[in-house]
Amino acid sequence: MITIDPALWSRLHGASVHFPIALTLASLLFEGLEFLSPRMSSLKTQLHAAARFTIILGALGTIPAVCSGMLMTRGNPWGHDALLLHHLFVWPAFAGLVGLGTWRGLVGDPASRTGLAIYLTVLFLVTGLMAGAGYWGGELVLNS
Amino acid sequence: MNSSFEVKALGWALVAVVISCGTAGLASILINSMPDSSSSSFHDFSSPVATTDLIDQGRNDYEQSCSLCHGDEATGDEGPNLHRLPVSNAYITVMIKKGIKGEMPSFAQKYDERQIAALVSYLRSLP
Repeated sequence: MITIDPALWSRLHGASVHFPIALTLASLLFEGLEFLSPRMSSLKTQLHAAARFTIILGALGTIPAVCSGMLMTRGNPWGHDALLLHHLFVWPAFAGLVGLGTWRGLVGDPASRTGLAIYLTVLFLVTGLMAGAGYWGGELVLNS
Repeated sequence: MNSSFEVKALGWALVAVVISCGTAGLASILINSMPDSSSSSFHDFSSPVATTDLIDQGRNDYEQSCSLCHGDEATGDEGPNLHRLPVSNAYITVMIKKGIKGEMPSFAQKYDERQIAALVSYLRSLP
């Protein structure tokens, strides 16, 4: 019988969640820098591309984070107290990040200003949700 | 790239969200229904130092202080079910000590470290 270290999933979860967090924050940063950079510059194009690939990788990074988290909580999607608060932020952030990654992956660089504005608004909201999820996740770890 | 393609891509993005959340939901149900095995430590968060005495002491303290809200069998009443808690022993210890504002009192004054360890051991002994 193969025995698995009970702390394995929590260690994996702790390690894997930081990839989507960092990549989404990086994508938001690149979008911000792109907004500030001069028009028609090659830097603008590079920042757009960097923002696109980081959000796609961030969305892909949610897969190991969510899988390890579900194995850690034994498939309990909500829980109680800080775990419940963590999940209330996690699930909308997960859905938002998958949606953003898919949309940006298909569209590339948004052509319309409306599309870009909506995308940036949702990206900002998702980053906020991830911050909330990270805060309550940290409370689970550091307050224990 | 025109804006109508962006709208179409939004549809695909929504499909991806539905598929992802649906997969997560199904995985959650699947993991929840996985049988426990005593020989596998997959679901084992138990303390390696838990002894029968410690568990018995924990049961006594549980019956005195916790069963009113969590039920005699700890299966939940006003408070939640405490069987197979998906959090660490350290986290349970903090919850017992600090309580939960508006929901559960603090037991830091009532119980010392050993008694709280006994309570945790008792909770971990629940099937």
